[in-house]
Amino acid sequence: MDVSAKPPAQMDGQKHRRSGGFAGDPLFKMLVMATGIGVLLVLGAIIAVMSIGGFPAFKAFGPGFLVSAVWNPVSQHFGAAAPVFGTLASSALGLLIAVPLAFGTAFWLTALAPPVPAAIIGMAVQLLAAVPSIIFGMWGFFVLVPPMAHYVQPFARHMFGHIPGLSALVSGAPFGTGMLTAGLILAIMVMPSITAVMRDVFTSMPTVLRESAYGLGATRWEVMRQVVLPWSRQGVVGGIVLGMGRAMGETMAVTFVIGDSNHIGWSLFAPANTIASLIALEFPESPAGSLKLASLMALGAILMAISFVTLWCSRILLARGEAQAGKRS
Amino acid sequence: MNGDTMSSTMQNDASNLTADAVGETAHPLALQVRNLDFFYGKSRALHNISLDFPERSVTGMIGPSGCGKSTLLRVLNRMYDLYPGQKATGEVLFDGQNILAAGVDLNVLRSRIGMVFQKPTPFPMSIYDNIAFGIRLHERVSRSEMDGRVEDALRRVALWPEVKDRLQASATAMSGGQQQRLCIARTIATRPEVILLDEPTSALDPVSTARIEELLDELKTEFTIAIVTHNMQQAARCADQVAFFYLGELVEVDSTARMFTTPRESRTQDYITGRFG
Amino acid sequence: MSASQTSTRPGRAKKSASRAVQRKIMDRLATGMSWAAMLIVVFVLGSIIWTLLKNGLPGLTASLFTKSMGAPGQDGGLANAIMGSILQTGLAILLGAPAGLLTGIYLAEYGSESALARAVRFVSDMLLSAPSILIGLFVYMVLVAPLGHFSGYAGSVALAILAMPIMVRTTEDMLRLVPLSMREAGIALGAPKWRVILFICVRAARGGIMTGVLLAIARVAGETAPLLFTSLGNSEWSLNMGRPMASLPVAIYQYAGSAYQDWMQQAWTGALLVTLGVLIINIVVRVGIHGGRT
Repeated sequence: MDVSAKPPAQMDGQKHRRSGGFAGDPLFKMLVMATGIGVLLVLGAIIAVMSIGGFPAFKAFGPGFLVSAVWNPVSQHFGAAAPVFGTLASSALGLLIAVPLAFGTAFWLTALAPPVPAAIIGMAVQLLAAVPSIIFGMWGFFVLVPPMAHYVQPFARHMFGHIPGLSALVSGAPFGTGMLTAGLILAIMVMPSITAVMRDVFTSMPTVLRESAYGLGATRWEVMRQVVLPWSRQGVVGGIVLGMGRAMGETMAVTFVIGDSNHIGWSLFAPANTIASLIALEFPESPAGSLKLASLMALGAILMAISFVTLWCSRILLARGEAQAGKRS
Repeated sequence: MNGDTMSSTMQNDASNLTADAVGETAHPLALQVRNLDFFYGKSRALHNISLDFPERSVTGMIGPSGCGKSTLLRVLNRMYDLYPGQKATGEVLFDGQNILAAGVDLNVLRSRIGMVFQKPTPFPMSIYDNIAFGIRLHERVSRSEMDGRVEDALRRVALWPEVKDRLQASATAMSGGQQQRLCIARTIATRPEVILLDEPTSALDPVSTARIEELLDELKTEFTIAIVTHNMQQAARCADQVAFFYLGELVEVDSTARMFTTPRESRTQDYITGRFG
Repeated sequence: MSASQTSTRPGRAKKSASRAVQRKIMDRLATGMSWAAMLIVVFVLGSIIWTLLKNGLPGLTASLFTKSMGAPGQDGGLANAIMGSILQTGLAILLGAPAGLLTGIYLAEYGSESALARAVRFVSDMLLSAPSILIGLFVYMVLVAPLGHFSGYAGSVALAILAMPIMVRTTEDMLRLVPLSMREAGIALGAPKWRVILFICVRAARGGIMTGVLLAIARVAGETAPLLFTSLGNSEWSLNMGRPMASLPVAIYQYAGSAYQDWMQQAWTGALLVTLGVLIINIVVRVGIHGGRT
């Protein structure tokens, strides 16, 4: 007899079972999928709004917008070069300080510290990451700026002011605010996330590798330098690039200490601006529909693009590092 | 189970009463596997399996690891459907219908063919809610009826005296043996016809194992039971018929007594005497 | 240790000894630098907390919590800003957490490694690190400019966009920790997938998901930049989220840049409150995770 030809409906007929929300499955799948697509749409909308909002500026100034260092609300002339330079320079400066700091701390946490202090200091690093950025701004302005103005800058000028080539780096009036102070604040702010990534990739290395290196009589530094670092290179670089992405988008802390000036200069002590700080400072004085607002939006689009590319790179590097860790362990 | 189900099953399956083992026990068949092949992607895990599961008896499935016994179990409630790339061909007749066919309501199927896993899997909720969860899926019952059903299920697995004062306590705090009995209670509370057990005692201590084996003996008066085990003594103690699998093939199926005394196949002989596996 | 080993070989003793000393110096140097880096980090965190306590504690009076912001010398408080922060953060979590939860469920349970899921995961990570001021600018263009006025709702939406990716990440991570056997057991009872996910998997992961909610609160409660162009700030007591609304971080920003003694005092006290709140949530969460793991 042909039993398989019986319609499926009869199967539940016998016990009068509810099918227990059978229709719920496709509905729920659609719901979660739609939310996921919503996330894509949010980013798409952000990019679209920035581009459309900034379009008048691109149209008015053409490609010259990117290279012009003028920011003159009176003559209605705006260019992106100064804040873009400020963003890149302050972030680079920040990383220059943050990377050794983060590496040293991660080295201490993974190789030098006993478990309990490591847990406590690890927690302190994470707490540092959780401090709101406006607090860094206030702390920077009231705690970091005075000694910068009274000691660091005069000292730097005294030391390097007469050396050709270096004198440009230390020129300017001793305000205490400016590029270097912004770099310092950024360094402190991105250092925890770089440390966290480094700590993770260092500890993800198989113990046998580490132990065999120690077994050869290597010192802790040699193990770090010659075994752990090469092994985790991609993850480390990914973490640094991630920190770079964060630093470039940072707003409030930088706004307090950068000094608000749209000039491109090489002095570490000269006031400057980043894209984010310029937007925060100038936005309240930019009426809707004005060319200034469009220029700010255009700067926002540029910042979006820069951080997008940076974060993309960091993600690829981190993923590759992880894949490698998986393969080797 | 009600009488209607049984009589209709008997009528439908009368012509299929062919296996030797069934002739002996004279039970009608709950499940019939016909020419089943199973694939993980391109690799074939089961080769042309045909096996009958008589009603209200215990079928033990033994064989070395990787032989396909657990795979077969996961075909019977179509658990493999969760994983793309896994595919079964052939027929599994349950209640006169091929459950491998498209259009089968899997939620209903799984409520009629319950499963207990190797490791206890208590849900992260109270003991009471663990049992009630399965019942609520398929039936609308009043609060007092639910209390009765929960108590009944827990009594049948002999867990009631141990937990009756802490029904609202978290199930994850119980011992491993208790958790496994809770999982069995959870399964029978939905009133299935068939219970599949996938090495249910391999994560338990000997005392808990013995309790579960006793339990199987009681449960088989009411349910059809299929148990996968790597423990030959367990198969000998609990099963009415035993099927021996090797490398994805069903080598031999027979009543437990015959299987362990006079196996027909030399491979079976070798396995049960411990020469391999 | 290595010095004594190598020096036992007489032929190479001299060269090895100097090399061993060099290696030891290098190791000491690296160790010292590492300690220094760690101490700098601890010093900075300590300095921030000390500065906040020293400048903030004197202003911690009852009137700070009972009075709204006032003109300089008027003896105002921060009650409206505190209330505004609570309302905006609360609404942001109500909007962002469910969206993040559902997206996390999609990534862990449905999308897995499909092209769409990879795109969603990538974009969510992107939003996690996106400059928060741009989120504010975006919400201004979408919700403030077209409607013609700043509002607490707009502020909440901006904060929700920041809270969501945190929830996506924690939900996905936590759901992936739920053992497969738990899902199979649910399915084997005949439960449909959505019930297994919502009533078994999410339940099993609820501790971790709550952690995500707390971290999201801690993250958005201290955000200033996205609120500058959305809820703007308001010196009056107002519970109307359709109007401009005060918030603690924006109030701190306004007051910290002022020249008035009492405003400065309130800025420090507000900063102390925000930081303590955020840090306490973080400590609770991280100590909780450690306790749960052992």
